[in-house]
This record gives sequence, structure tokens and C-alpha cells, in this order.
Amino acid sequence: MRILVSWLRELVPVDASIDTLAEGLTMRGFEVSAVEPVQAQAGAEDEDAVLELEITPNRPDCLSVAGVAREVATMYGTVVTQPALAAPPATENGDGVNLPVTVEEAELCPRYVAAAAAVQVAPSPAWLAARLEAAAVRPINNIVDITNYVMVELGHPMHAFDLDRLGGGELRIRRARPGERLRTLDGEERALADDMLVIADAAQAQAVAGVMGGADTEVRESTRRVAFESAYFQPVSVRRTSRRLGLSTDASYRFERGADIGAPITAMRRACAILAAIGGGQPEGAFVDRYPAPPTAIVVDLRQARIHRVLGVDVDAGFVGTTLKRLGFGIDPIEPVDGAARWRVTVPSHRVDVSREIDLIEEIARYHGYDRLPSTFPAMIRPPAPLAAGVRRQRLLRRVLTASGCSEATTYGFIERAAAEPFVDTADVVVPVANPLSEKFAVLRPSLVPGLVDALIRNRRREHRDIRLFEIGHRFRRAGGESAGVAIALTGAGTLEHWSGRARASDLFDIKGVVERLTEAAGVTARIEPTSRPELVPGRAAIVRSMRAGSTEVCTLGFLGQLLPSLAIARGLPSAGDDIYVAELDLDVLGEVAVDRAAMRVTPLPRHPSIIRDLAIVVDASLPAATVRGTIRTVAPETLIDVREFDRYAGKGVPNGQLSLAFRLTFRHADRTLTDAEVQQTIDAIVTTLEATHQASLR
Amino acid sequence: MVRLVGTLDVDTGPLAAVDVTLPGRDIRIGHRHPLSVLREEIETIFANLGFEILEGPEAEDDYHNFEALNMPPEHPARDMQDTLYLDGPLETESGRPATLLRTHTSGMQIRYMETHEPPVRIIAPGLVYRRDTPDQTHSPMFQQIEGLLVGDDVTMSHLKGTLECFLQQVFEPDTRVMFRPSFFPYTEPSAEVFISCVFCRGSGCSVCKRTGWIEILGSGMVHPAVLEAVGYDTERLTGWAFGVGIDRLAILKYRVTDNRAFYENDLRLLEQFPH
Repeated sequence: MRILVSWLRELVPVDASIDTLAEGLTMRGFEVSAVEPVQAQAGAEDEDAVLELEITPNRPDCLSVAGVAREVATMYGTVVTQPALAAPPATENGDGVNLPVTVEEAELCPRYVAAAAAVQVAPSPAWLAARLEAAAVRPINNIVDITNYVMVELGHPMHAFDLDRLGGGELRIRRARPGERLRTLDGEERALADDMLVIADAAQAQAVAGVMGGADTEVRESTRRVAFESAYFQPVSVRRTSRRLGLSTDASYRFERGADIGAPITAMRRACAILAAIGGGQPEGAFVDRYPAPPTAIVVDLRQARIHRVLGVDVDAGFVGTTLKRLGFGIDPIEPVDGAARWRVTVPSHRVDVSREIDLIEEIARYHGYDRLPSTFPAMIRPPAPLAAGVRRQRLLRRVLTASGCSEATTYGFIERAAAEPFVDTADVVVPVANPLSEKFAVLRPSLVPGLVDALIRNRRREHRDIRLFEIGHRFRRAGGESAGVAIALTGAGTLEHWSGRARASDLFDIKGVVERLTEAAGVTARIEPTSRPELVPGRAAIVRSMRAGSTEVCTLGFLGQLLPSLAIARGLPSAGDDIYVAELDLDVLGEVAVDRAAMRVTPLPRHPSIIRDLAIVVDASLPAATVRGTIRTVAPETLIDVREFDRYAGKGVPNGQLSLAFRLTFRHADRTLTDAEVQQTIDAIVTTLEATHQASLR
Repeated sequence: MVRLVGTLDVDTGPLAAVDVTLPGRDIRIGHRHPLSVLREEIETIFANLGFEILEGPEAEDDYHNFEALNMPPEHPARDMQDTLYLDGPLETESGRPATLLRTHTSGMQIRYMETHEPPVRIIAPGLVYRRDTPDQTHSPMFQQIEGLLVGDDVTMSHLKGTLECFLQQVFEPDTRVMFRPSFFPYTEPSAEVFISCVFCRGSGCSVCKRTGWIEILGSGMVHPAVLEAVGYDTERLTGWAFGVGIDRLAILKYRVTDNRAFYENDLRLLEQFPH
């Protein structure tokens, strides 16, 4: 809202400088975002400026010079000077003789004031045009300008119809008819819907109520008679219509926030006074005022004790009364309780934001000054809650991942459809955004991997070679909804260049190692098994599974593997030779299967020594190591406490199509020292079984 | 003169001197994202003040994002937060299908109050979404932390004291904090909170537009309509709430010049932050 300071001073004569006024308004909730100096009008002594005010949606009453003046008057303990009004003519509630008005939709239009006037259309006088221009309203002609002048000054939107162009010379406030169309003042031909309120003549819609007038009845040079409208339209209806038409105007902006239902007559009298003052014409006969059910004023009780309760400070009873009175509230003291004052407060019709005690306490807080509230601390009245398990787990995983060399990325929750689709089985799993900013943000991410891969590629294009990224975030799927996940993407060196030895490129076992550390840190025993996924290189993809505690139910935690090079190239990877490895785990499932570390107890340290045996066998190259390991575990007694692959070799000395696998087996008995002989017996049994089941041979 | 060798020089004998000035083996350690670093820091400040940390869904239903927060359909204040809607509802655990991306984390506060008796002392951090095109100061997605305190004796003075403490811990101990009247549908009285400019320390510069102050967060006393929506006794209970963008704090604290940098994930930026 642009407020011309000289106009403001006309309504509230205060000496304060422009900067002081701006500061005062800002500190009372009307932020002055700019002070724009303007040329003072001829004859004026003071400097002048336009204050650009940010009026919050709850205060439509301050979308006017008079509204802001009321706040300034309250600040400086003075009163607003009412602008000149025409004498109240008789109002007409029967069938208006010279201007028939029929309100068919009293719910959407609770009040409609209209007046006919004979006019001489001409340009506005310079002072009037200048004031409108200061308020960023374009002057049109004296009649249209008067309606806008009243809107800026008093806050009440008005409209003027060319009365001779209204069919039947009458106004009918009704809903639009199905298929009805109207060319509005901006020249647009608009299709109306039957829930939109229109102002019509005998035949057709001539204005969209509270939004914009129609072009046919526009006031122009040839206009001789006008019908002035000063109405109150229901806010939700105006807002809905304005949005449906994609048409927001100064009028709709005010009506949808809530105009003053008590203002239409005052606004009409003001319009008539200006009409007379500038020699623009004369009202003809009485005002029509269709106001079947004036609402009763809202009355709210305010307690001094409650002010203290909310603000934490004592506010003087006299100050409360004076402040509310200046703001236009009616104030009646009622019987104090425990020595604290109470008031019965009548809310003026322009304060559409006030309907309960807290609204009045806000007024007191604004004028008491937030800066004068003390800074104190709330008492701690119950012990603080422990950190939630999910929060603790995320913090832990974040640190395990940084300790694994991964840096944390944060990518957008919505991505391109093309980036999302390779990561889902069917496209209908992807959840689209209904009103996306652009195609780049078209769908919610079904997986964290695509965003993370994009971030990796972006770094790769900035000449980073060794990149390890992770992200913790939410994913969205049509089936299954929203879930939390953690994803990793890496490329480049697995072992960095160092003077002591060679660098090594990352491979699948780098990302598998990170995933193993993650699941271990979370207290989860993971099983990582071959799988196939459309986005991963065949034969280089694994599924990560785990068992629910105390159950045999296997659940899927996620996957890991090498990203298809074609996908990376499609996303802009500069070099096809860069292998990218990715993994993603479901944090919700991880949380469900995680062992509660709070319940952990130590295992006593072993009191007897262990015996270690190495076993190298030659098997078919296609035999998974896990299968051999499984066979060993089945054959061995409980004393086998660890089996670990420590070498894998194919080549010279090993037949084609076969490879040598070396296992390190650790044996220990809980209660006694094992003998070499019994361990050897076990080894022999293992070898026999491996030979029988896997056609293995000792190397 | 001692001949310096690397540790892998095998022919110099087991106890030969080594060149200790050669770089050590590079154990790679990654870095946390700046928004995570700051978020954990803020969580710790409030955890120390007895606040419980809550997380919740980003896809939200209209009731928890708007209606329960005193923003019925067609409320003009809905324009203050341009919302991204889902194309077709998404099933949720709570039963109410999600229809939009949350514009703030306030929905979690409602959920908590729906299922917990007062007193309430929580913070809800997380990602929120607005229909803003990314530029230097806007992002369609950002991290937010909201706080809520409801009890028998909770006043606006407590809000001032707590937020001053919080902001002075995030910035400098001598940071000045200013409260100014504002409007949010879910708080009343509402306050916009400013800190003395971190660049000029309040003397006036281009960043603070010569005012010496930088707007940092929104806050206020919880509107009774919000407490009523969760069945709390509004005569007995009062409360306050605040919401702060972690991105905004991070920009000011770390002197990041472009908001988009947080979502580009350039390692040259990430590697400047702690592990």
C-alpha cells in the first residue's frame, strides 16, 4: 500500500518527520519497506514522500490512508480528521424509483449501496490525479477517479456504471448464468461460472462483483448518468472468483481480505462530496441501501490478568483503555477480578481481524511495544526427553559415512521425470507434482540415487575425479508412500595416489565395504546377495537383506551395485570410462531391524587360546564364495568362530575356468583349550565335504 | 648425515630413519553438509533447553499444513506460502492422504499435540517446500526448524528470552535481537525477529539496507484456535512457537552469497565444513 505522507497528514495532523512516522508504523506491524520522496504539491511547505507499506493480510482496514491515519493517531494520542462528506441524503429501501436494485444473493452480497448521478465526464483536476498517481493508481476520468480516490482514502472499493447503458436502467446482484460471458474493463472476454457473483442489468452481467467492471458500461466521455456502487461482498466468494478468473484487482484484494460492512454509505457520501467539489455532477435522488441483516457488533471481554498471562508483563489499565479507544473500539469497564481490571470491548466494523480476547491483547502488545517486554526463561517443569532413536541413528550414520570418506549432499526432493524413471519398475510408481516450477522439478524423487548421481556428475564436470557422496533424505512412491533413506554414490580412486604405492580405482567392493560399515554401525546383520536391477550393470548388482530381530522374516534394506554407464552418460557424465557405484538403504526398515544398543551387554572375553588354520581350495570360478563359506560352516562344529576369505587367485597353476579360494578359519572352545588333533579332524571333514559337494580340490 | 628414506624402503634396515615430512597415508574423511552441521548445532542448543526433537513426513495433508493452523480454505494468508501440490493423493501412515508438500514443519506440532498431553516442548526440523524458483535468495526447498512450547505459564517474555539465547549461540554472544509486530495466522501476537547485522554489526551496510538489522525468523504466541483444534484448554494453557530457515541462518553465519550453493553440492564448498 502506497501512502502519500501529505494526504496522511491531512487526516491526522502530526508534526513527526517522515522517517519518524515510518519507524513508528514499522514498529507497530506496518512495515515501511521504502520511503520514496516526491515533489511537494504547489503551495505546500513540507517535504513529501510516499511510504510503501507492507500490510499483512489480517489488516485490510489499513489498506487506506484513513486506516493508517488511525494507527498514527493512536501512536501520537490524537484523533483522525474525518474527510468532508456530502450531507446524508434519504436512503431508499423500497424499490428505488430512479435506480431499481435487486439483490438475489444476500449471502454473497450482504450490503449493496447505490446512487444515481448526473455527471459531466472530464479529466480530473491535477491535485486529484497526482494523489492517485502517488498511490500507483492510473487516472482515467473524473468519475472513475473519484471511485478510486475514495478507495485509497477510506479503503472502500467503489464502482461506477454508465447508467444509460444498463439494460432497463437497473442493477441485479445475482450469480452468473451457465455459459454467461462478460468483456471486462481490461478488454478480456471472460467465461463466467455459476458460482460467481455478478452485477447484471435486466439482460446480462455487467460486472464481476468485487473484482472488475464490464467494458460495455464503462464510464466514458459520452456518459451522462452513472450508477455509483458501494457494496460489501463476501470475502471467500470474491477470492474464489478472482482466483478462478486469474484476475486480482485493488478491489478484489480488499474484498477478499474483508471490507468494512459499515463503510458503504460513508464512502458514497465521500464520493458525492468530491463530485460536488470538483464540479463533476450531482446525485439524483436517494441512495439505495440494500442491507437486510446488519450484523450485530462483536463484543469481547478483555482481562488485564490475561494480558499479563500472555505477555508476561503488567500493562497499566489506563493505557489499555486509551489505546483501544483511539483505535476505534468501544470500551466499557466491568467489575474487576482480584484487583485486575476488565473491560467489555465493542469491535468496530472495520476491524474484521478482531473477534476474541487474544486479538485485543495483540493490540495492547503492539502499542505497549515488543521492545519493552522483558526477556525471561520458561521454567523447566518436567525432565527433558531423551534424543529420539531415529535422530541418534541419523547422526551416527552421518559420521560413519564421513569416516568412510563420503561427503554429504543435499539434493532437491523433486527431480526430472526422465531422471526418476530408470529407478522404478513401472512409471506409475512416480508421484508427479501437480504444479511444478518446471520440468526439472516434475516428480517427487522415488529414490535418492538419481539426485545424488547428478550431484556426482556435476562435481565430475568440475574436474573432481575422486568423488564419494551420500545423502540422507525422504523418497516418495505411489505404493508405499514416503520413506527415509540413505544413499551413496562414488567414483574415482578407491585408494588414492600416494608416494608409497599405486592408486587403485574404486570397484564394487568399495561401496560394499561402506554399506557393511553402515549396517554394522546401525546394529544390523546384513546379507548381501546377487540380484538384478534395471539401473545396475548385470552381474554387478546386489540386494541388501536382513532378518527382523526374533523372527525369521527376511526384509529388504536396499541395494548396491554399479550404475549402468548409459544412465550416467544420459545424465551428463563427461567420460564414459568412469565407473559409478551406488547404494541405497531404507532407514525406516533399518530402524526396525536394528538391535537396540541401549540393551547391549558385553560378552565375557575368551579365556582359552584360539587356533588358526588356512585352507586353500580350487573350485569352479562360477561358485559364489558365500556358498563355500556356508558349506564350511555347516560341516564345522561350534568351535569354528570365524571364516574369512583372504585370497582369491586365478591364473598360472590353476586350471582354466577355476580359481583358488583361500579361507582363514579360526577355532576356539569356550571352556577348554583345543588340541591340534581335533582341529585337524574338523579340517579333514571340511575338505571331504567340499570335495564332495563342490568338486573342490586342495591346492 | 642421516639418509632419510620412506618406510617402504626395505633395504635400509628395520630401525633406519624415515622422512617424517612426507605426507601420511590419506585416510579419507568426508564432510557433513553445511545445513546438517548447523541443524545439529541448533538441535543441540534446544535439546540443552529441554526440547524434544521430532521428525515427520514431507508430504502432508491440507488439514495438518493449513486448517489446523487457523488457515481454513480460501484464507488469504495461504497466499503467503505458495504451495506445491501432489498430482493425486499419496497414502500415509496417519490415514489422511497427503496432497501437498509441507510449506512448514508445523504439521508435526499439530500431530504431537494431538497425541500428547501438555506441557509441550518440542522442535521439528526438516525440509519444507515452496513454489519459488531458485535464485540467490530463494529455493523451492529449504531446511526449517520450528519450536513449540505450551504450558500453564508460558509468556511472550519467555519467547524473547529463549530466542535471544538461541540466536546469540548461533551467531555471536553480543548479537542484538529485535522483535517487531507481524502477522501469522497461527500465532497471536506475532513477531518478526531481527538480529543486528552480522556484516556491519548494526552500523548499516548494503546487506542490511542501512538499517543495521537483518530479518531472521517468525514467531509468536500460539493462536488459541490452534490449541482448540487439538483439544487443549486455551484458558489454562498458553504457548509460543517460532520457525526459522536453517538455509537463511547458514547464509548469514557462513557468509554464503548464493542460496543455490547448498543444493549444488560442490565438493569445494562441502570440504570447508566439519566432518
